[in-house]
Amino acid sequence: MLRTYGRFALRRTGQAVVVVLLAYLFTFVVISILPGDPVTSTLRNPDNGFTEDDIARIVAYYGLDQPWWVQLGSSLGRFVVGDLGVSLRSNLPVSGLVLDALGSTLSLAAAALLVAVVLAVAIAYGTQFLPPRWGQGVLRSLPSLFLSVPNFVIGLLLIHVFAFGLGLFSMIDTETPWGTFFAAVALGIPVSAQLAEVLIASLDHESRQEYVAVARSRGLRSGALFLRHLVKPSALPTVTVLALIVGELLGGALITEAIFGRVGIGTLVESAVASQDLPVLQAVVSLAAIVFVVVNLLADLAYPLLDPRVAVGRSGRPVSVAPRDEPTTPLREEVSIV
Amino acid sequence: MTFARRPRRRLLGLASALAVGALLLSGCGAASTAAPADAEPKTGGDLVFLIDSLGATWIPNNSSISSYQGQIWGNVTDKLVYVDAEGNLSPWIAESWDENADKTQFTLHLKSGVTFSDGTPLDAAAVVANLDIWAKGRPDEGINRIGLFPSANYQGAEAVDATTVTVSFSAPTLSFIPTLAYHGSILLSPETLALPADQQADLTKDIGSGPFVVEKVAEGDSVVLKMREDYDWGPEAVGHEGAAYLDTITYKQVAEPTLRTASVESGQAQVAYNASPQDLDALKQEGLTVETPRYLGFVNGYALNTSVAPFDDIKVRQAVQHGIDRDEILSTVYTSDWHAAESFFQSTVPESTDHTADFAHDPEAAASLLDEAGWVKGADGVRTKDGKKLSLTLYPNPYLQASQSVDELVDQQLTALGFEVNLETYDVPTYGQKVIGNATVPATEITRSFVDVGTVAGVLTSQKRGDEDWFRLGTSDATLNDLSTRIATATDREARAKVADELQGYVLDQAYFVPLTQIVQRVYVQAPEVSGVTYNGLAYASYLNAWLNG
Repeated sequence: MLRTYGRFALRRTGQAVVVVLLAYLFTFVVISILPGDPVTSTLRNPDNGFTEDDIARIVAYYGLDQPWWVQLGSSLGRFVVGDLGVSLRSNLPVSGLVLDALGSTLSLAAAALLVAVVLAVAIAYGTQFLPPRWGQGVLRSLPSLFLSVPNFVIGLLLIHVFAFGLGLFSMIDTETPWGTFFAAVALGIPVSAQLAEVLIASLDHESRQEYVAVARSRGLRSGALFLRHLVKPSALPTVTVLALIVGELLGGALITEAIFGRVGIGTLVESAVASQDLPVLQAVVSLAAIVFVVVNLLADLAYPLLDPRVAVGRSGRPVSVAPRDEPTTPLREEVSIV
Repeated sequence: MTFARRPRRRLLGLASALAVGALLLSGCGAASTAAPADAEPKTGGDLVFLIDSLGATWIPNNSSISSYQGQIWGNVTDKLVYVDAEGNLSPWIAESWDENADKTQFTLHLKSGVTFSDGTPLDAAAVVANLDIWAKGRPDEGINRIGLFPSANYQGAEAVDATTVTVSFSAPTLSFIPTLAYHGSILLSPETLALPADQQADLTKDIGSGPFVVEKVAEGDSVVLKMREDYDWGPEAVGHEGAAYLDTITYKQVAEPTLRTASVESGQAQVAYNASPQDLDALKQEGLTVETPRYLGFVNGYALNTSVAPFDDIKVRQAVQHGIDRDEILSTVYTSDWHAAESFFQSTVPESTDHTADFAHDPEAAASLLDEAGWVKGADGVRTKDGKKLSLTLYPNPYLQASQSVDELVDQQLTALGFEVNLETYDVPTYGQKVIGNATVPATEITRSFVDVGTVAGVLTSQKRGDEDWFRLGTSDATLNDLSTRIATATDREARAKVADELQGYVLDQAYFVPLTQIVQRVYVQAPEVSGVTYNGLAYASYLNAWLNG
């Protein structure tokens, strides 16, 4: 079992390396086909009063006058040995910038994920066990509402009410627990909607199963029924969605961070894109690729643990040993039904 | 790329409007009433300054002219000379100065006892090190020179004794002393100047002699400054002795403009930078102070490209000058804090003279000028000549906040005259690539500050290498060549002022430049408890003399 897991993980790690390198190359190509470079565009600020000669000498210092293949070669050479280079915008080492931003984004993303899961589970629980009018009506329409309100609107409302109105946090120091909490709420609400949708659908399916009726007839309380019998089988598709959502959290963090005045990966990307700061963008895109691949890998590995019907076969692939006629929830590509 | 930024801004604006509405309904708007300004300054207190961006790099030479980092440099560093809002020069670290008759040799007499915050003396040797790096930079190490420094004529500086520096130029350089008051000319410790670029980029390593020192930097987020207790060499003109009153200043980046002003309204911050002009009247009604200092420099307006149609014809250029209704721009886009342009230069420039009549709004005169030039109005209202439409593309200047709104209004006004106007809006990098330096752009919207009118010589023609040739005349206009040379080589300020008057008249008469309004590029929304802030000739806020009431 361990060896197959190992082979499986190794293969996926190999894929991950290819994905990361491709992401790195792709970023280079995209930024390179844009006209201009960050150094020139900063120096061209009309208030600078620089001559084109002045600008050319600084551009040469950064090697931006070199042909693209030379630039790509030297940046790739540094990248494979772990040197992320120096930001063209701030002139500071990229690794430091990314590390600083990463801490803030990870705490925001983790908090947002927590908020999303708690909200989604609460909504899903409500749809099953609250009185029908509430459960069916209001709660079931909540996910659509959450999805249709852009998260910057939620963010601005939270700031105006809780920061300016109630003074729970301030725009000056947004990394406080309350500041992180409300940013996480803004980011987590749309995410919780997707989770809730999937969870509700699975719960609806599972609660129609006979074993649930049996459990109910034995007098099991709704809470215990939910936790012991419904959550686990409904968790599988939720984990699939969760893995995809991590990417979304990183993307959504951009707007949330900008609004809440946090310095994170999102705001780093925004300023890097706006100023065509290639070294920073390449570092962040590679990092995002790594995170995405790793999270998906973890999701795959979590399958067999959540549902004993899914097992990793000798080939190193997770396979299901469930009966063929069992109506199964949508499974991931790598999971085959034998 | 081109349109990526705007739509989101607009959405954010809309969302903020919604949010503010919700806030008002819920009644938690905390509009503070204006406290009476205390006459007696108070010591202590922490000021929070919300800024739209902390800009790019902190390498001093590369960032000191930035509208963002310049705010911080101005409180962390000193300059040799001070320039006030009216363009008057006065002593600062240089207590006095002498100049020879042909303005090629200058002697600076420095204040004694001035130190950088690391304890090293700000003496003649330190000043020489600064002059050298302003003039030359170290471009091979990624450190620029300072754009407006008269580098071409700079021969060198020498420390005669601990408090005396002599500076020589190869040609008359009347602009030298004013340049020392320019926001680029910040004095830094020689040790800082010797650091490589990537270390100078770390603000905590940049040592100045100013009333505040850098306490903490969170890259891209905030900068905290702490008062320097032994500071005692502020500019005489500011009239403040000893250390600053405030304990700390925190510059915190908040990108969304309405969040900046709302933070000040709710008392979480004291200053919000760069509010939109349209919001200012409402903010004043909330009891906030709005400061709109003007910088010294050119007014906002269009430099017309005489090398391409339709502006190769003076009549069309003059038609644009008279076709624009500046009062409508002031009343629609701006507030009463903005002033009409009176000339090619801001009216605070000492050499600025009133030439309003040369470009007064007169749509009838504008129409007949176009008629005379042979542009005939067609059925669709657009004028044509030899089968060509009278069309014009405007590129709003991304460095000026309300530029797009101004251009939209100009679009309407010129369309009424028979122009076909297109607007193309770009973000800063794209603008830098597509518009700046592009010989086919018919009208370039100018935002440019200067401390000395001599700077003007460098933008008018292409006589010297590095000249900007704003009107794309090359050296074809003998009168302008002559005016430009006389400004550049002047050795007497009064005689030069007369040439400057002649120059303004000529440029406007030839309609090379179409003035719009005087520029306010730095807007400060302030809580009522903030007192004693001073603004220099470049419109940067100094908190040396500032204090918080209550």
